[in-house]
Amino acid sequence: MNLEAVIVGAVIGVAVGWLARRWLAAARRRKEGGCAGGCGCTDKLKPKR
Amino acid sequence: MSSPDAGLLVALVGNPNTGKSTLFNALTGLRQRVGNYPGVTVSRKSGTCDLGDGQKVELVDLPGLYSLAAASPDEQVVIDALSGNIAGDRRPDAVVMVVDATNLLRNLFLASQVAELGLPLVLVLNQADVAKEQGLRIDTELLSRRLGGVPVILTSAWKGEGIPEVRRGLAEALSRRTPMKRVVWPTDIAGALADVAQAASTDTGKAISAADAQRLLFDTNASTAERLGWTLERREKPVRSARERVRNSGYNPMAAEPLVHYAQLRVALDGVVAEGLGKAGRTAAVDRLLLHRVLGPVLFLGIMLGFFASVFWLAKFPMDWIQLGVDWTKGVVAPPLEPYPMLQSLVADGILGGVGAFLVFLPQILILFLFIGILEDSGYMARAAFIMDRLFSWCGLNGKSFVPMLSGFACAIPSLLSTRTIEDPKARLATAFVVPFMSCSARFPIYALMCAAFIGPLYGPGWESLVMVGMHCVGLVFAVPTAFVLTRLVLKVKPQPFVLELPRYQMPKPRDVVWRMWQNAAEFVSKAGTVIFAITIIVWALSYFPRDASVAERIRAEHPTESAEKVKARVQAAYVEQSYMGRFGKAIQPAFDPLGFDWKITVGVLASFPAREVIVSTLGVTYSVGEGAEADSQDLRKAMQDAKWTEGPRTGSPIFSLAAVLALMVFFALCSQCGPTIATLAQETGGWKWAAGSFVYMTTLAWIVSMAVYQFVIRLT
Repeated sequence: MNLEAVIVGAVIGVAVGWLARRWLAAARRRKEGGCAGGCGCTDKLKPKR
Repeated sequence: MSSPDAGLLVALVGNPNTGKSTLFNALTGLRQRVGNYPGVTVSRKSGTCDLGDGQKVELVDLPGLYSLAAASPDEQVVIDALSGNIAGDRRPDAVVMVVDATNLLRNLFLASQVAELGLPLVLVLNQADVAKEQGLRIDTELLSRRLGGVPVILTSAWKGEGIPEVRRGLAEALSRRTPMKRVVWPTDIAGALADVAQAASTDTGKAISAADAQRLLFDTNASTAERLGWTLERREKPVRSARERVRNSGYNPMAAEPLVHYAQLRVALDGVVAEGLGKAGRTAAVDRLLLHRVLGPVLFLGIMLGFFASVFWLAKFPMDWIQLGVDWTKGVVAPPLEPYPMLQSLVADGILGGVGAFLVFLPQILILFLFIGILEDSGYMARAAFIMDRLFSWCGLNGKSFVPMLSGFACAIPSLLSTRTIEDPKARLATAFVVPFMSCSARFPIYALMCAAFIGPLYGPGWESLVMVGMHCVGLVFAVPTAFVLTRLVLKVKPQPFVLELPRYQMPKPRDVVWRMWQNAAEFVSKAGTVIFAITIIVWALSYFPRDASVAERIRAEHPTESAEKVKARVQAAYVEQSYMGRFGKAIQPAFDPLGFDWKITVGVLASFPAREVIVSTLGVTYSVGEGAEADSQDLRKAMQDAKWTEGPRTGSPIFSLAAVLALMVFFALCSQCGPTIATLAQETGGWKWAAGSFVYMTTLAWIVSMAVYQFVIRLT
């Protein structure tokens, strides 16, 4: 297997893994009664710069 | 951020739209969302407030409410928070009561109820600038004395005036522990309250506070009794008998509480407010025009048309600059990767083609939220809700439904959360079911793409904004009959009066409007850099693989006389068609054929079920891969304009005909394509039944209406 295929395979693997992890985390948050996510409403409290 | 000393907790309480969130931001230095319409805060938010003497307290911003008689879930949050009945939260050590300085009597009713909790209290008379404009002069010292010596402070939170005084007042209230003067009940009502407290205490074995006794006697809902564990069988007789005692003293038990409070508040306010000459009539004069039965809706439509026309007009040049930037990046990045065609295609067609196609809409999103911010902060959005209520109230929705429905035009998720302001659970359910029909900002990129690529060039810029307004109305047109059937026939919701408080007009505050734009832009860019980026890579991989070398050989053998460039284009197209995505799209495409969608649009539609904005990047990838990284740089709009059917009875005709463009937009306007919305709907309705029902209903409706639009328009054109 050449380096090009390894790099492309790794990029695809990371993308799939990251999306799966994100969806699992959202499902866990929902189970705990938190925001289902997607709107960013839980991240909007930020200190003034 | 340092943590609060000694864990002191202070609750910020007040009527809706009195500026609590603005005061909260000013006291904590945080940036919670504020809006010039009621119901912005629907859950508990907290931050650290420095009292100026080195002492720090945790400040909690609670949803606005008019009285402690909890009727809706968000009001219950306030009552639970003030009573220390929220798991993991303690009872507050003090209350900052925010009241509208221009309407003291009505606002002080809640303060007077909160006083019954016996907590140290600071009374903040906010919007002092408006009171001054209206010619009102308030004697805060006299009011403080009349209310038992609690600190009374005039502020204008949005101007930052009076904030240090609030910090000092809070420090003073916490050290002196001064509660507000409680109402003095007439003898029989006091006796009835004592009877209820005694009976509840005997039955439950718990000490009953004065505030709880009042809720048990005066409220028709059972939330306090349920919290105390006082069952219906045990409480029915003593509560009825106590209410009878109130009735015998000449008061209606359901009206006794406000009557007694208001009578004593009128005495407390006597001589406190001096009225001079002011501009109180300005809002009323503007409202006579904007809320006029005929002119109001016409002006509303005009404002919306102007709004979308400005979005297109102002965003045109920045969009072209971003497209140029994406093309330039492709030009720089692609050539060095020439020896590695797979990697080159991933970077140029996949990442830059997909994410670039999505990012191009950033200027429109920015301008969209600039206008939404101006409309909200100026106070017009609440008027829009009022106009919509008059137009659509026949569908049986609760008056309070219009705020979630209106905010659904930005995003369905916070709108679903804001349905918690609706008291009637059935009305709340009906509203939550129709909120996803509202045309959220995630639908905007697909409308904008179609309008910019087809409607504008074909019919002129005026039609772009008209179609845009039309698409934003499609959801409403179907939401109204859906709500009608749900409220009148399925859930049988009792009609409720419209209770939205109209805020006064004000000049939008640039800081808040810019902050809203910044938040949405950051969210849009972050989505492009995360979810869209990851999905783009997967869509690219599915559109690129497998790459069988025999395909290229076959094409070359079939077209020996064609130029190398033409053969290359044929090879690229053949590769995409035999890719996993191509095979899948072609297998599913017959289901979408009556809607005029080819297999690439079909793939885009299917990829958009988790999040509808994915359509743009998916089309960006499938059209880029089809063209090949070496092809002349052209944006997605141009690629779509050139796309033609290559097989079937429509061979040679444009894929994106007017009929297909309208059908695609209508499909996106009506289809349930947002995973987080469906999950939130399940969360808010307490199960998956309604969420699954919403998904099936919206998706089926989208298919049917989109098919009807395509078949109708294709016969006309």
